[in-house]
Amino acid sequence: MKKGTQVLTERKKRDQRVTTPPKTATRVLYEHHGVLRGIMERLSHTSRDDVEQRRALTAELYGEVQMHERIEEDIFYPEIGDIHTDLDAAWSEHRQMTDQLAALLRADPGGARFEEELRVMHDVLEAHAHLDEELEMFPEVERQMDEERLVELGGRLQKRLARLRSSRMLRARHRLERMLLRGPGRLFARGVRRGGRRSVRGGH
Amino acid sequence: MAQHALERLMRKIEGQEWLDRPGHTLEHGYALVQNVLGISQGPVRGLLHGVWFGHPLHPALTDVPIGSWTTALVLDAMGAGKGRRERAGYQRAARRAVGLGVVGALGAAVTGLTDWQYTHDYARRLGLVHGALNAVALGMFGWSWWERSRGRHGRGRLATLLGYPVMALSGYLGGGLTFRHRIGVDQSEQEADRLLQPREFIPVLGVDELREGTPRRVQAGDVGIVLVRSNGRIHALGDTCPHLGGPLSQGWLRDGTIVCPWHGSAFDLETGESRNGPAVAAAPCFQTRVRDGRIEVRRVPPVTTAPPGSAVVHGWRTAEQREISPDRQEPGHKERVPRQREMQR
Repeated sequence: MKKGTQVLTERKKRDQRVTTPPKTATRVLYEHHGVLRGIMERLSHTSRDDVEQRRALTAELYGEVQMHERIEEDIFYPEIGDIHTDLDAAWSEHRQMTDQLAALLRADPGGARFEEELRVMHDVLEAHAHLDEELEMFPEVERQMDEERLVELGGRLQKRLARLRSSRMLRARHRLERMLLRGPGRLFARGVRRGGRRSVRGGH
Repeated sequence: MAQHALERLMRKIEGQEWLDRPGHTLEHGYALVQNVLGISQGPVRGLLHGVWFGHPLHPALTDVPIGSWTTALVLDAMGAGKGRRERAGYQRAARRAVGLGVVGALGAAVTGLTDWQYTHDYARRLGLVHGALNAVALGMFGWSWWERSRGRHGRGRLATLLGYPVMALSGYLGGGLTFRHRIGVDQSEQEADRLLQPREFIPVLGVDELREGTPRRVQAGDVGIVLVRSNGRIHALGDTCPHLGGPLSQGWLRDGTIVCPWHGSAFDLETGESRNGPAVAAAPCFQTRVRDGRIEVRRVPPVTTAPPGSAVVHGWRTAEQREISPDRQEPGHKERVPRQREMQR
């Protein structure tokens, strides 16, 4: 009985945390860019030996980028069509991020190619998030859109992001996509490397 | 009158915003297929866009179904009213023609879809309708071929008659994509190409202001140029992407190329040639040199025997780089540039 109430209050608290600070749409997206940059940063500090860590972070990046594209394309872009004229470029840049993520997944996390793809991923992300959105699109939207509407839009973006993050369906879909993108060749290479490393350890 | 009706139809299609959603869904699906197959980074991509071909491959492939199906129509008309044995010959030939057209149409569909995914708003909507109509026409002719193979030539002829106008209308819309929206047309700053501006070396940027690996846009007279320092060498290409005019200076470097941030066309830093598409034309290429601490550029003079975009010598090492690594300097490199300068005077 006691336990039950505790759980309830906890849940209430968590709900409040999500909904109380009213954020503008651009604020929400800035912050999510920060999330993406954080993952990139952590990835860049990994070494070639941390294959598992690299793979886990790449998986996290894949999910967050997909969700970012989803909320922007479904909610934000349709609302700003009259304000920002070059939306097609933004759509195209999303496609470039998707393609580069695929290249990153395909690269062997224990090799130099992975680091090169990671550097390109960083540039692709900044070309979209910083050069296009943060420098041009967001200031324009903030100038022209009512504060109230921006906040309302921000709430929708946050709600959608929270829903996507907790969706088991989506997570399963991303896992399947990552598996397909990595390809059967990768699975084989992974097995070989693991076997190789085990024999090295055995030698010690 | 008919002209106006067709043009009105195109305008109407271009204004259908609701087409964007299914268009993007289709693109996402096709993107996943391409990435799973590894096409989006590999040589197959350039093959489908027609980089090897010198201009887009799709418009060339569409001639196969249009020609074959027109032939089938003619053979059907010629066979009508002939004797039984003679007619059988026409029927066989017509079936082959329809079949060849179906094969060609499948090729046109793949290349067309590959080109279409990298288009914007109006052209994108028009292209989606163009593709949908073509799918209908392909279905009709596929049905026609199937019926003809089973000896039901009457039905086969009917399917051809129904499919042909769909194909013709769709072909018209496809023409609109090129002639109205310039899809597949070189959209780099054409002036830079034709007038070869700037003809003389002009200073554009202090050599210290260009960081290794970070592309930077500069202005040389009326011409927008992207400068790139890669492995110590300074390269200069036209900043406007030949595909749809994306800003190359906002792109990134990958394996000796600069990549357009919009659609991922990769241009060779040395020659400006496209490596993968969707751009099939080369980016205009400029010579660079460093004088008094400033980077100077001029348009590469035309070489009549070489393909457009190829440079005589255009990468020029910076002074610092020459001091740091004298061993990496080719002897021929040093001699050729002064000779060119003399030639220019």
